[in-house]
Amino acid sequence: MRERTTLNDISKDCEQLVTIRGEDLMPLPPPYQSGYYEPKIEALSEQEMGVLEASLDGASAILMPKPKNKSEEDELVRKFLSGLRKLLTKENNWTFLQPLTHSLDYCGKCLTCSEECPVYVSSGRKEIYRPSYRSELLRRIKAKYIDGTGTISSWIQGNGVELNWNTVARLAELSYRCTLCRRCAQACSRGIDNGLITHEIRKLFSQEMGIAPKELHAKGTVQHLKVGSSTGMTPPALENIIEFIQEDILERTGMNITVPVDKEGADILLIHNAGEYISWPENPAAFAVIFEAAGINWTLSSEMVGYDAVNYGVWYDDVQFSRVAVKHAQIAKKLKVNRIMVGECGHAHKALITIADRILTGDLSIPRESCLPLLEEIVLGGRLRLDPERNNFPVTLHDPCNMVRLMGIVEPQRRILRKIAPQFREMEPHGVRNYCCGGGSGFAIMSPKSFVGWKAAISGRMKLKQTLETFSDVMAPETRKYVCAPCSNCKGQIRDLFNAYGVWEKCGISYGGLVELIVNAMVDIKKPFIDWEWH
Amino acid sequence: MGDALLVLLTYAAYVFIVVMYGGKAYRFATLPMHLRWDLYPVMHEPTYRYGGSYYEHLQWWKEPRHRRFLRSFLFVLKDTFYLGEYFQRNKSYWSVLFPWHLGFILIITFHVLCFLAAVTMVLGFSVAFGSPDMLGRIFYYVILLSGACSFILGTFGSVGMMVKRLSDRDLRGFASPMNYFSYLFTLVVFLSGIHAWRADPTFADYREFWTGVITFSPKGVQPASALHIVLFDMFLFYLPLTRSMHYITRFFAYFWVYWDDEPNVKGSERDKKIQELLGQPVTWAAGHIQSGKKWTELAMGMPADPQTNS
Repeated sequence: MRERTTLNDISKDCEQLVTIRGEDLMPLPPPYQSGYYEPKIEALSEQEMGVLEASLDGASAILMPKPKNKSEEDELVRKFLSGLRKLLTKENNWTFLQPLTHSLDYCGKCLTCSEECPVYVSSGRKEIYRPSYRSELLRRIKAKYIDGTGTISSWIQGNGVELNWNTVARLAELSYRCTLCRRCAQACSRGIDNGLITHEIRKLFSQEMGIAPKELHAKGTVQHLKVGSSTGMTPPALENIIEFIQEDILERTGMNITVPVDKEGADILLIHNAGEYISWPENPAAFAVIFEAAGINWTLSSEMVGYDAVNYGVWYDDVQFSRVAVKHAQIAKKLKVNRIMVGECGHAHKALITIADRILTGDLSIPRESCLPLLEEIVLGGRLRLDPERNNFPVTLHDPCNMVRLMGIVEPQRRILRKIAPQFREMEPHGVRNYCCGGGSGFAIMSPKSFVGWKAAISGRMKLKQTLETFSDVMAPETRKYVCAPCSNCKGQIRDLFNAYGVWEKCGISYGGLVELIVNAMVDIKKPFIDWEWH
Repeated sequence: MGDALLVLLTYAAYVFIVVMYGGKAYRFATLPMHLRWDLYPVMHEPTYRYGGSYYEHLQWWKEPRHRRFLRSFLFVLKDTFYLGEYFQRNKSYWSVLFPWHLGFILIITFHVLCFLAAVTMVLGFSVAFGSPDMLGRIFYYVILLSGACSFILGTFGSVGMMVKRLSDRDLRGFASPMNYFSYLFTLVVFLSGIHAWRADPTFADYREFWTGVITFSPKGVQPASALHIVLFDMFLFYLPLTRSMHYITRFFAYFWVYWDDEPNVKGSERDKKIQELLGQPVTWAAGHIQSGKKWTELAMGMPADPQTNS
């Protein structure tokens, strides 16, 4: 029988609320049938257990220190309530108050959203991972401790949730067990958005209590604003990398390209996720090859923040989000470009193009767009000589949630693949109904050891299943297969997921971006551009 | 005296629900504009079938927008009646939720029709089976149909919802005593409707009562009809205390959140509104936020104390 965790259990005084067991997880298709190796969710060491919070499911995404005594606990609970009050005020949270109010007030508790959540289903349907579990907790805490309903009213509403340190600590961790893919919101006929509530809980912890995963905050937005990139890459380091990329392009393609940097008055300022420069330099290289071959008037920026499109604030903190978005726009304005174009990075697309739309006012309201329509125009407009036969291997497309479900950019990438990849096949479901890669909302870059296993075993499980099913007819490892993921964070998650399960060795499935496939099909380039062994 | 009280109660119930719903809707509508939070498919987009948006077009800001408001409106309206998302994803829940909801929609339709029929009666028309007026005959049949269907479907739905929530462990875990009270209360309301129908098979009594409400001259009704009137009035008092506003707020959620894809344009009204919002002070307490500063100042500045977050 399925283990039951009730809403009221959240405040329970126990070492660990839920245990993840391999046998409970959603089964995977061949060659990963039941009993096969599962990535391990590494437990915290005894020493870590003494000082870090991991009482939800044994994993710790935030590495939150345990309070030293009761008065510290009480102070944190007080701060949580103070943050919750601010979350409900127009001044502090005009950014999301209206949708939050709606989602808090009108849920019918029908649980229809649960089956849409890849984390919940993959976990073997653990109660705590239900999209509505954390939302309902917040609702009940608000009703009891903010709206000030009395004992009778609490009973009528079935509200037995106690607000203590256990509740606060577990809710903090729980807000990092949802990838904010918002698939659940699509399923709700009332328009309730559990993804939004998760986002708001994260904001409360960061903006009021100063609690956020270090990869998102200290090493994320703060480092981004302080040294230029969340990767830690400084402007001089970028210069070196661009030199390397130019040499690499020459060696791999024979094209002698000078990547334009800080070109004032260029038509396009292209901003990549800086993770590409570090982990997949072939991606910015492929962009340079395509843009130069197509005669695009473009530039990169070497100014701090301007060469890294990421904006981790979009996942956890509106103030940090605004700071990064404003900086991006200021740099574009300084360079006097006509438009900003975001490279293959899903959350950067959504952050800069859509969400920042109501932060960037006046002169900072510079046109911003995705790279995909331009790539489509280049490929379908015949601006490159392409031979699809060069990509004659099974290819599928992963839809990054941020670009597709949350921005409606669905077809340009498909039209390109239909043109350049003869064996292109869709995953099911796909498009706006896709499944998240499991690395969304910052998970791809969050690396506490207990959380790494959790991502591979649970949040990425549905994507792995989907990928295996898509290639089930060509599963032999000798047949090379390609998952096209036009998003840096998705690639990061897919890389870690595939490594955890040995997917390349056992199934011959690799991954990469879209531009790499385009360059791989270019007739003027003699050698294949895709390097199968590098994954 | 009793008849007058019944009329007064009815006035009070309708005023109460209109004021309460109006107040709630006003409060929600006047919340500040929020950041974009699109969710696709967006129904007014020409490529809504696959969930496409204007972002699929190169230099999208140079193109005219083609929005189909009517399609969006009809989509939400249709789903309000048919509950299609439930049907697709959760058929067993839909099978009891749908009749329950239809019971509500029809009971409200029934009362609106009774009111309109009473207006025509006051104007001199006859509303009856053999009425010489076509309008009167139409009212007669539609009232009969909506009333009967509402009471039967509502009764089935109320019982069904209760059984479903009690028998499903997952649903039970999220239920509250108030949920069960709602099912019971609505069951009593719908059953009282059946009782009134049995006592007054053509709802003639009910129409007469409404002419009394309109003309401020209370008319006597049978006890069964009076009981249903009282219970329905109580139901109107109860509704605003529940989540029933979702019939209306779901339109807000779709049109003002998920489908609000209107881009900001420099110098526009929207642009000015956003600047006003950005001029508000922030009091968040974390170290990287300088509490007391305005949003604009924070967005233009650097974190004060970057080390505060874990």
